[in-house]
Amino acid sequence: MTTTTPRHASADDPRVLLDEQVGVFEPVPPYPPRTEREAEFYTLRDGEMFLNMGPQHPSTHGVLRVVLKLDGETVVDLDPVLGYLHRGVEKLCENADYHQVISQVDPLEYVSSLFCEWSPVMAFEKLLDVEVPQRAEYIRVLSGELNRVASHALFMGWMALDLGGLTPILWSFIERDEIVEMLASLTGQRMLFNYYRIGGVNGDLNHEFMSRLGDWMSRATTQIEANLGLLNENEIFVRRMRGLGKIDSATALRMCMTGPNLRATGVPFDVRRAHPYSAYPQLEFDVPTRDEGDCLARYLLRVDEVKQSIRIIDQCLHQMPDGPIMAKLPRLLRPRPGRAYAAVEAPRGQSATYAISDGTDQPFRMRIHDPSFIHLQSVGLLTPGNLVADTMAVMASLDPIMGGVDK
Amino acid sequence: MDPLFRRRLERRFGERLTGPIRQRHDETEIRITPGDVADTMRTLHDEPEFGFQFLADLAGVDTGQVMQVVYHLWSETTPDWLRVIADGLSREDPRVPSVTFLWKGAEWMEREAYDMFGITFEGNRDLRRIYMPPDYQSFPLRKDFFLADDAARSPGAGVRHMEQTHAPRNATSATTVRRISAR
Repeated sequence: MTTTTPRHASADDPRVLLDEQVGVFEPVPPYPPRTEREAEFYTLRDGEMFLNMGPQHPSTHGVLRVVLKLDGETVVDLDPVLGYLHRGVEKLCENADYHQVISQVDPLEYVSSLFCEWSPVMAFEKLLDVEVPQRAEYIRVLSGELNRVASHALFMGWMALDLGGLTPILWSFIERDEIVEMLASLTGQRMLFNYYRIGGVNGDLNHEFMSRLGDWMSRATTQIEANLGLLNENEIFVRRMRGLGKIDSATALRMCMTGPNLRATGVPFDVRRAHPYSAYPQLEFDVPTRDEGDCLARYLLRVDEVKQSIRIIDQCLHQMPDGPIMAKLPRLLRPRPGRAYAAVEAPRGQSATYAISDGTDQPFRMRIHDPSFIHLQSVGLLTPGNLVADTMAVMASLDPIMGGVDK
Repeated sequence: MDPLFRRRLERRFGERLTGPIRQRHDETEIRITPGDVADTMRTLHDEPEFGFQFLADLAGVDTGQVMQVVYHLWSETTPDWLRVIADGLSREDPRVPSVTFLWKGAEWMEREAYDMFGITFEGNRDLRRIYMPPDYQSFPLRKDFFLADDAARSPGAGVRHMEQTHAPRNATSATTVRRISAR
């Protein structure tokens, strides 16, 4: 009897013989470990195994691969593998002129694009010593806070989806869609707005936007409360999230966390208050904090933030000054050589840009600091000791967006 | 700008600074040698006079002549961002101490700077590439990196026709590297 090709039993069904091994994934990299940590991670002790999650896993919010080291169903350690969405935005920005940068950075955090534009625009304004007209600042705050509500609304649905609840995301998409349509009538785009300009914004408030906004504002609070009831009063959800992925404030600071994830541990750090910019010094709002530092606190904190955002939007509408929406600037921008750093409070935390000008019309160096990237690394700290299914809950509560993580 | 903060920095770090303290808008900038990074950061983090608990950003910079590592810090004690520039790393073998002993969260930012610039952070226990594939040889954000040339060596082993290098076809690398003087 002769066999031409070796045949393997299928991993799914041992009765099925395959000509070659298909669907067999080897999580251990085919090269010697490069660092101490990698060597430690890829050495299995008794009873441990590797499990590969992603890169197409639905709960990884994009294209992320996580190698989990398991002992039974308990996660011992994990190693996130990034780079699947890497586009080299920083290099692209160095080869684009100052105006073109705005459209390059748009798709980073694609659920809250306005904040990706905001910090580069602010950094360039610092390089150019431009004073932005007050009306433009108010329009930025107004549209930014709307985008924050849209992003947090999506977060709530997404988080429930990662825990296995399908309904909340359908509800939160109703909310998000209204805001996104509203912003589309202002900016012309539903998702990648490309709206902020160096020295102002691209277009003034128009009638359609204002009528949509007024319409939404009249029922926003009640509508959001109704949506929240779906999760806040759901015992399964609350009991699952409480005490999961706990982090204390000192560790959170050591992990460089910012935004809602840091404030959920009790540190009242909000760039809008800690380092005020734009029209925020003139606006009244609270910085909500919570002390628990677990998944439920991170979720509830975002709920509180939505309420503050609605308060800010309301004030913006009442205080909106008249005047120009763009500063007077030449078409071709050549800032003096220098360096500038600008940070904004994005829905996920501090989103910042560090720009260096060499006197030409292109930035010499453009560093983009994305909060999702920073937060994703603390998954490795929060998950060990929990079950595999809780990895997704922890990851969802940190709310990373892979477009921003991979740049 | 916070002139009092400037005076405090001068008093504490006077001899350690390699250049004048610069202040512009809401930023204060100091420059130190790579060897002083660990000490300076510990002082800024621990001493209540400064209290920089919060590492806002860590970036690598290639000026064309030298490498720099740029830290941005935030503290309650001053309304300014503090920018600390570790200046004068050699382009051949850039080395700087890691700050992961203070901020564990700097680990990935240092990995990114290593991936993009080849800067070695001594003391970072997980310094491997983070975005580019492990068998990648180059450092993409260096100023002498040309996309098309490098792609030919990369595992994809090919260049799409749309991808053109920004360098003139017959230019040598010395003429095309964009440089700024060390400011």
